[in-house]
Amino acid sequence: MAGLRPAPGGFAWLALHEIRLGWRMRPKKGAARWIGYALMLAWLGFGCFLGWVLRDEPIPPLPQIMTGVLAGSIVAFSFMTTQAIIGSQRTLYENGDLDLLFSAPIDGRTILLAKLLGITGSIALTYAVLLLTLVLPIAILGHPQLFGFVALLVALALAAAAIGLGITLGLAKLAGPRAARTVGQIAAALLGGAFFIISQLASHGDKRESSVTILFERFSEQGVGNSGLSGLPGHAAFGDPIAVIVLLGIGAGLFAVAGMTLQRMFLTGYQDGGTRLSRARPTGRATNRLFHAGLFRSVFAKEWRLLARDPALIFQILLRMIYLAPIVFIAFGRNDQVPMAPGLAFASVLLAGQLVGSFAWLTVSAEDAPDLIAVAPVSKATIDRAKLMAAFAMAAPMGLILPIAIALQSPLGALVTLACTAIGGAAAGYIELKLGKPAQRSAFAKRRSGSIVGGIMSIIVTAIFGGLAATSVYLIG
Amino acid sequence: MTEPALRIRGLSKSFDKPVITGLDLEIGAGQLYALLGPNGAGKTTTLRMVTGLTRPDAGTIHIYGISARQHPNEAKAITAWLPDEPMLYDKLTPSEYLAFVAGLWRMDPAVAAEEADRLLHWLDLWDERDTRCEGFSRGMKQKVALAGALIHDPKLLILDEPLTGLDAAMARAVKDALRAQVDAGKTVIVTTHILEVAERMADRIGIIAGGRLLAEGTLEELRTSAGTEGQTLEDTFIRLTSGA
Repeated sequence: MAGLRPAPGGFAWLALHEIRLGWRMRPKKGAARWIGYALMLAWLGFGCFLGWVLRDEPIPPLPQIMTGVLAGSIVAFSFMTTQAIIGSQRTLYENGDLDLLFSAPIDGRTILLAKLLGITGSIALTYAVLLLTLVLPIAILGHPQLFGFVALLVALALAAAAIGLGITLGLAKLAGPRAARTVGQIAAALLGGAFFIISQLASHGDKRESSVTILFERFSEQGVGNSGLSGLPGHAAFGDPIAVIVLLGIGAGLFAVAGMTLQRMFLTGYQDGGTRLSRARPTGRATNRLFHAGLFRSVFAKEWRLLARDPALIFQILLRMIYLAPIVFIAFGRNDQVPMAPGLAFASVLLAGQLVGSFAWLTVSAEDAPDLIAVAPVSKATIDRAKLMAAFAMAAPMGLILPIAIALQSPLGALVTLACTAIGGAAAGYIELKLGKPAQRSAFAKRRSGSIVGGIMSIIVTAIFGGLAATSVYLIG
Repeated sequence: MTEPALRIRGLSKSFDKPVITGLDLEIGAGQLYALLGPNGAGKTTTLRMVTGLTRPDAGTIHIYGISARQHPNEAKAITAWLPDEPMLYDKLTPSEYLAFVAGLWRMDPAVAAEEADRLLHWLDLWDERDTRCEGFSRGMKQKVALAGALIHDPKLLILDEPLTGLDAAMARAVKDALRAQVDAGKTVIVTTHILEVAERMADRIGIIAGGRLLAEGTLEELRTSAGTEGQTLEDTFIRLTSGA
């Protein structure tokens, strides 16, 4: 067996090391892990059931399915590229092992390729859990052509990893080391939301649907996705060897080109990323203007400053608000059937819940210096109250927008909405306070993975108060 | 008779295995006390229990006569804690950080601002007072954290490995700052792996290993108890801890 082990210091050896690190980063304990396993098993069970039902049924590559595969591939690819940008940023700026790797007598290209493979693996794994647990049982139980989905997934992941790294390094070169991380995070958020936003803008005026559905409808109208280049994903998914070879070739080619050509930029990006440049701006202002009487004002000032100096975080929060829009419309069906004010009332509470929850997570769970707070002569409850108030104040300006809009139609409805918005927001903040898990601010995007129960409770509570607000406004007229 | 700065009786703490077992320790006011011990001896755990960061399984802790377990906020009000990793916010400037710490200790804003100015000058941070901490060296961060620890004028200052990773000039600045605190009548407790620092700076030294206090006293008293008269603290330390 020892002969099968890759030579230390080589690409395969480093790649295995990356895979091992990636594997060990999975949640080790807690409800999140077991809920994840349970959902995966249920999904796999559903796949097995489908495979059994369809075992003797032919699954032809119908034009609609081919178009659907294309639409799904495009949307998945945009998310994969986002994931790759985030993964590249983490590799460049957060993982401490580059110091060790670059100080070792290993070729820089080998390091880059291994890191790139690690990013590819994590992307592929994410989608494999969703897609392959469903498709593989069907393929195994009588439709071997569907193994083509594995090739499609690998090709997309390889290409996304290469493009994501290219975007990250290109932005680092364009924006400079100081702004590289922020610009990269904004680019990732924009790309992640691009298809959603564009598809919503391009959708038919009277309805809101998912990005995949809208793309599917557009492609179907134009007959795209069945032949030529646009047909490649569909043909590959159905096991067409030529399409598989072409797509894997494109993915592997991009991967290899990225590994070969980006080595110098990767090294520069890593070296600049390590400098952690900071703004030096002697203002000459009197120091005593910073000192406030009272704990609440000190906590407010600190939380506001930390938020205001993190533009990428603000951007992520705003983008989340945009994502909420279709939930409101889905909840109320078609736009033209929904009385405007109740819809806005529901949206107002949902928005406030999300905002206060996000800000409360930042102020309470993502505290950078918990020990400093713990050694201060102030009770935890007092600090928590101050932080919750700060979170509430941060959300308040945006929470007022929709009640003001409702006031144009129904002033009483606006008051009821305002009350429900405040209560819903406060409840979401309180849930975060009680159930939130300590984390780094940089983990904002994955904050719910720390407390799934908290996330679910927050959604339920805001939905209840949102429904109450909408019903009240509807009855008030 | 004056209250000791710190009095610990029967302190115990277990995680997976016992870390501190029935620790008794008394540190008089107005001295610099060095707590030494091999890695994993329980030094940091002891100090974290004193500062209220870790809950003891048993025992009592009194800071200047105030029970740290029964009246934690009163005890914290006169104590400062400086861990080996500075408790800072990268996005705040030193001035803003000090303002926040002053708010946590509910200081009068005018007094706090004046004290912040003094500390920023004294620790040679004045020119960087409006620069965010994210670009600072470890030594600079340690000085900002030290300013934060001192701003509320604590009677008891507890520092965990305060000189780790500092260059000679920074280490000198920190040592001078600690000595100045003691000269002003405050009590300073430090843990350190650098035995020369303890040898040259400490008024009294405690040696802890396996969660127990092995020996305690002045350097001369330790040498006598270890039978290492005329030898260095390193020799004494190794002699005392080798059997633990």
